[in-house]
Amino acid sequence: MAYSVKLDNFEGPLDLLLHLISKSRIKIEDISIEEITEQYLDYLEKMKKFDIEIASEFLVMAATLIYIKSRSLLPRSSEPVEDEELDPKQELILRLTEYKKYKVISEYLRKREEIYSAVYYKLPEEIVTEEDPDGLSIEGTSEQLLKALLKLLSKRQLVENKNEKTYGIKKDSISVNQRIRQLEFLFWEKEEWNFYDLFSDSYTKTDIIVTFLAILEMLKNNDLEAYQKNPFDDIILRRRDSSNG
Amino acid sequence: MDEREVMGIIESILFVSGDPVSVKDIGKVLGMDVRKVRKLMEKMVDTFNFERRGLQIIRVNDSYQLATRPEFSEYIEKYIGPRQKQTLSQAALETLSIIAYRQPITRMDIEAIRGVKCEYALNILSEKGLIKEVGRLDAPGRPILYGTTDKFLKSFGFSSLKDLPEIDQEEIV
Repeated sequence: MAYSVKLDNFEGPLDLLLHLISKSRIKIEDISIEEITEQYLDYLEKMKKFDIEIASEFLVMAATLIYIKSRSLLPRSSEPVEDEELDPKQELILRLTEYKKYKVISEYLRKREEIYSAVYYKLPEEIVTEEDPDGLSIEGTSEQLLKALLKLLSKRQLVENKNEKTYGIKKDSISVNQRIRQLEFLFWEKEEWNFYDLFSDSYTKTDIIVTFLAILEMLKNNDLEAYQKNPFDDIILRRRDSSNG
Repeated sequence: MDEREVMGIIESILFVSGDPVSVKDIGKVLGMDVRKVRKLMEKMVDTFNFERRGLQIIRVNDSYQLATRPEFSEYIEKYIGPRQKQTLSQAALETLSIIAYRQPITRMDIEAIRGVKCEYALNILSEKGLIKEVGRLDAPGRPILYGTTDKFLKSFGFSSLKDLPEIDQEEIV
């Protein structure tokens, strides 16, 4: 089975060319197109042999090299050409020099990255100021949050106490779907309900969970919408008319 | 207030902020002219360096920030444990170099220089907050122009883009 390996040691055709040039120890300006083209195509041939995927950019460069080579073989008109465009070989040399420039810089940046990545900063102090820069003000205090929590907890405790005092018969727990049907009925009777009131007939932990899941399900299905007049206020749930969307 | 005291105030502001503090903001707090603040800040930077303090004050454009010194990193890492080094790939670094020196620049121009596609490298650099969109070129398609960020300056220890070294032509040829 053929498998392909992608070698990324060359960052593209220019990188490969620079590598070939440095290997033959010549200056960029002095490259011989014949030689470099041969080496370049050799390399692509090797890549093919090893089933290495050759990116299209490499093929474009191969075409450019062959074009420059073929051009140099053609007899030149003696008079200086009023040529519109730059000699492709000169253009390639310019591109190589330009690319090399940024390769040198990237090596320099790599060294600096290593040094300066070891500099540490401190996180800003978390101070709540009076004027919030984001305009996102949170009305309410931690006490209010605590109160809301206690309210729920005390409800449960109350319920547990109730259970102890009253009969020891366990209520059959109901399914989320059953609860949704019950809630639908409630919302049909009255359009808006306080979140806490919906739990008033939930006597056990399971009941609370089932009711909560039922509310979430209804919210998800867009049967209900939830809103608060102020942060930490009681949540109000309102029936959404499906016909109105 | 004598100068020592003013410097002390600035130092505490830099400490509380953690992030770079602009010369403008310091001036506002102290009721001082921006140019005077700049002068004072340069003096503070020098003092911190001269006294070989554990912290240095670095400048990023027109803002200042407290930071540790790279020469102490060995001990810091001994304390916090080995740090996971996340270095940029060659492709990302080359792309970043081109943007740093040629900004504002479009993706097409970067790709023309590198001879390969740079989309992935640009994404990585944006994600790391080293480059940002600085505008659009007034040309068909209105391509995005990229530039470097203050985070780039900080990450590579530059105070401003003027600190980027001239390119030595000799080394290239």
